[in-house]
Amino acid sequence: MRTALALLGLLALASQARAEADIKDLRATLDGDRVLATFTLTGGLDGRLSQRIDSGLPTSILYEIELHKDRKRWYDNRLDRATLEVVAVHDAVARTYTVHLKLDGELVESRTVREREALDAAMTRIEGVPVFTLGEGTPRGRLLIKVRAELGSRTILSFIPAAIRTEWRDSNKFRYPPRAPSP
Amino acid sequence: MAGLEQVPVPATGTLAVSLRERTERLLRNHRFLLGGLAALLLLFTLLFYLSQRGRDLPAALVTNKVLLFVLWYANVILILVVAFVLLRNLIKLLVERRHRILGSNFKFKLVATYVGLSLIPVLILFFIAMELLRGSFDRWFNTPLAPALERGNAVAQAFYDRLENTALRDASRTLGEVRGIDLAQAEERPRLTRRLQELLAELDLDLLAVYEGDELIGAVVDSQSGIPDLPEPGRDFLAEAAREGRAVRMDAPAGVPGRLVLAAVSGSGATVVAGTLLDPVVADQTDQLVRDFQSYRQLEVQKDDLRASHILLFVMVTLLVLLGSSWAGLYLARQVTVPIQALAEGTRAISGGDLSHRVVVEADDELGVLVDSFNRMTAELASNKEALERSNRELVEAQRLAAWNEAARRIAHEIKNPLTPIRLSAERLLRKHQQHDPELGKAIEEGVEIIVREVVTLQGMVDEFSRYARMPRPQPAPVDLSRLVGDTLSLYRDLKPGVAVEGDVEEAASPAMLDAEQMRRALINLLDNAVEATEAPGRVTVSATRDNSHLRIRVADTGRGIPAESREKLFLPYYSTKGRGTGLGLAIVHRIVTDHQGTIRVEDNVPRGTVFTVELPAG
Repeated sequence: MRTALALLGLLALASQARAEADIKDLRATLDGDRVLATFTLTGGLDGRLSQRIDSGLPTSILYEIELHKDRKRWYDNRLDRATLEVVAVHDAVARTYTVHLKLDGELVESRTVREREALDAAMTRIEGVPVFTLGEGTPRGRLLIKVRAELGSRTILSFIPAAIRTEWRDSNKFRYPPRAPSP
Repeated sequence: MAGLEQVPVPATGTLAVSLRERTERLLRNHRFLLGGLAALLLLFTLLFYLSQRGRDLPAALVTNKVLLFVLWYANVILILVVAFVLLRNLIKLLVERRHRILGSNFKFKLVATYVGLSLIPVLILFFIAMELLRGSFDRWFNTPLAPALERGNAVAQAFYDRLENTALRDASRTLGEVRGIDLAQAEERPRLTRRLQELLAELDLDLLAVYEGDELIGAVVDSQSGIPDLPEPGRDFLAEAAREGRAVRMDAPAGVPGRLVLAAVSGSGATVVAGTLLDPVVADQTDQLVRDFQSYRQLEVQKDDLRASHILLFVMVTLLVLLGSSWAGLYLARQVTVPIQALAEGTRAISGGDLSHRVVVEADDELGVLVDSFNRMTAELASNKEALERSNRELVEAQRLAAWNEAARRIAHEIKNPLTPIRLSAERLLRKHQQHDPELGKAIEEGVEIIVREVVTLQGMVDEFSRYARMPRPQPAPVDLSRLVGDTLSLYRDLKPGVAVEGDVEEAASPAMLDAEQMRRALINLLDNAVEATEAPGRVTVSATRDNSHLRIRVADTGRGIPAESREKLFLPYYSTKGRGTGLGLAIVHRIVTDHQGTIRVEDNVPRGTVFTVELPAG
């Protein structure tokens, strides 16, 4: 029984596959009460994803974003979480790529690009997207956001599905509410 | 599951059970098996239905990530359930074997056979089918279809590229032609239109239009094309065209079959749009080539996920079959082992003397018949035993009655023996007195002497009976048995010339928990008989041995022996083979031994004589 459980545990762990991709240049800025996220996914659009996009299948990159208090060794630092999903669909006849941006499942933006470089940028460069809104319930102090990307799944031993995810990355710390500028 | 309990044997046998009762019993006994089979059948029907429906489902749905993970975790749960069922039963069987539970070896073999017979074919089939599945997928994507579709797509794309390049070239030429015309002057417009008409015919175009910024300056359409009006290319299109020159494909205006290829080129503030109407059949075929290739690429991209979902489905079905077959194997094994185990336990209980034990196992097959026969046999055994015990009781009662008759006869005889001399002496004295016999005084002395002697004899008999009746309970205490036997034997040494009296008590026999006085009296009674029965030359031996559970004292003689017919009554009170005495000697020995929780038996000595063996608990 122990052996069987160990084997199953191993297989369960195997379902978590690490991606070669990484989140870079992660920055969090405050725009009033809104937290804007800016980052770049590097190495994300590898051959596997590119083939999938070119085949015309809807292909998504899911960014998981969490708002944390800046406290080390504390168990419940997380204040809020959001998902930002970028979905690309290729029309081979019209030779266009349609990119949808969804925040927590709700469509935020749709655009059509014709060039591959533009598609790569649309899927991997997130520029100042408002991901959280702070308010009365938000604790005061230093905050940060954490981001990781999920790049679909692959299979281990031909049949064990494994989600491909990057490591979590931390943004710069910022203070809420911001200090008033000195006169 | 079949269970065991003590209940009376059913009056009716298995053969007398009606068809309806048999059916009800079958349904009741096998409800889990039937329920399980029905559930499996339902599940497989559902899976078959889904697999049939799955053919029509798009690949994207079949290879959905959520579906893959759901299938995977369903398989993990099934693996755990199968492992739990098999390991739990294996551990139970091993524990039963270790504790040497009756029937556990047979049960282990039967369960191993059943489960093995179901597991091995399923696993062999699984691995073969897995390899076939993998091979089929690889062969599917290695067919010549891929290059054909790829070439078709390349041809279609080249065709579109050529159309767009031609349109761009024609638009560029037109832009060069209209540069000499001042588009801002309204009077120049007819000239522009004429030139556009000439170029339309010359370049075999279907549409030509000139924009200045977003404003349409002039346009001509081939009347034979059927295009009723100038299509709106869109501001973005014109802006992009102004920047770098662009060509697009778009649906022809409503009512016009085919597809319109538009190309735009800008320069010197003007933008020229040239359009060619593509034949609808050619356009559709070309688009279809592109779409077919894209569909194939979608399948290829999803190949791994598609294979994974098929394998996971197959693994799931295999695990369900494995679960069902191993569970059914275990269930069927139990159907055989439980009755057999119950029968084995019943046999052991009956061999231990418990004739009230009954085996109750609900079985409809030959095992049920066997159980019924076993129960009937046990019931008959109990009935026979009861009858035998009743006969024995009656026999013992009769023997006791006979013994009492004998005792009464002997008591009467023993009492009559002293009474006769007493009566004769009394009559003689009376006669002498009536005759005034001068020797009356002498006669009185002799008569009184006789009467007193016989009364003493009667008194002794009465005392003996009284002692037997009032024999106290034994008071066991540690006794040096060697010394007890030695002291008792010393009373008989040299008592009878030519008869040797010997003792042989092993060291381990002492100390023994006995009532020393009672045991001495028992030995004296046995030795009295033995010495009296042994004629010279002869030997009387008292020996004592001890093992883990018993202390054995043997009194053996080389005397005349005891007839077999007398042995049964030997220990009854007032029974004697000597024709004299009270007949209480051996009865007293039997009572003393019985009061010590022991037994006494009498056997022939070899080569001659008798052996009395007293067995007492060693503790």
